[in-house]
Amino acid sequence: MKKWLFNPFVFIASWQALGFGLLLMAVTCVIAFFSKTHFDGVIDIHFGTSFPFWMAVFEQFNIWIISIILFYTTGLILSKSKIRLINIAGTLALARAPMLVPAIIGFAPILHRLPTANNLAGIALWSLALVLFSIWMIALMYNAFTISCNLKGSKAIVGFIISIILAEIISKVIVQQVYHHFLSK
Amino acid sequence: MQKKLPHVCPSCSSALNVQSLICSNCETIVSGNFSLPLLAQFTPEEQTFIIDFVKSSGSLKVMAQKLDLSYPSVRNLLDDLIVKIEANEKTTDSK
Repeated sequence: MKKWLFNPFVFIASWQALGFGLLLMAVTCVIAFFSKTHFDGVIDIHFGTSFPFWMAVFEQFNIWIISIILFYTTGLILSKSKIRLINIAGTLALARAPMLVPAIIGFAPILHRLPTANNLAGIALWSLALVLFSIWMIALMYNAFTISCNLKGSKAIVGFIISIILAEIISKVIVQQVYHHFLSK
Repeated sequence: MQKKLPHVCPSCSSALNVQSLICSNCETIVSGNFSLPLLAQFTPEEQTFIIDFVKSSGSLKVMAQKLDLSYPSVRNLLDDLIVKIEANEKTTDSK
């Protein structure tokens, strides 16, 4: 059970993982649109203003594609094994599955009035839930990376940290540019 | 009861060699100092993997279905075996 929760990629990868992953990402897009939940970075979640549905789709796929590019490149540099793009794409898509829950949590009204909310216990509880699901997603991403690229030890850890930081920065810059050019008017 | 063939010294973890072999038909004993064949130096699980790989005609896809593992997991097992084989070959060449 523990293996299925944190490293399902031992059993499922490639096209199967891609299929399930894209399905869950699509559901997350729809829920995020209605709950006004933004995924503007690989490990970022924000709650706030409304946005068009295409932006919800763009945010999900921006994160996913930037992650694929960064982790695939890092895998090619660090790994001695042959790496298949479909394995990286599929496992990283499925790794985003936990983000479905934060999208649902986005319906909580308190998260949309944080600057003025005074229910500290409520804010703390929701924040804890968000952090836990984010940690779960990061664990899945790490296992997706190590299984798809056959990396272990310090190479895996350093490669993952560098890739996820770069993916976070690049995905945020892209989303910011899209907002600025298409939604700021 | 199936016995496991030891290939690593329990005292100093060096590779074990074969000192004598016996013919089960005529009970002739052959003594010497023989290195274990490369394949005998693997764990039983690794030997089973290699045999299954050959029987599946080298198809990782078939192996993944047989072992109920994902394709990259099986690929990684194979790559780890390749590294082990190359390390063994280097050790043998250096002797």
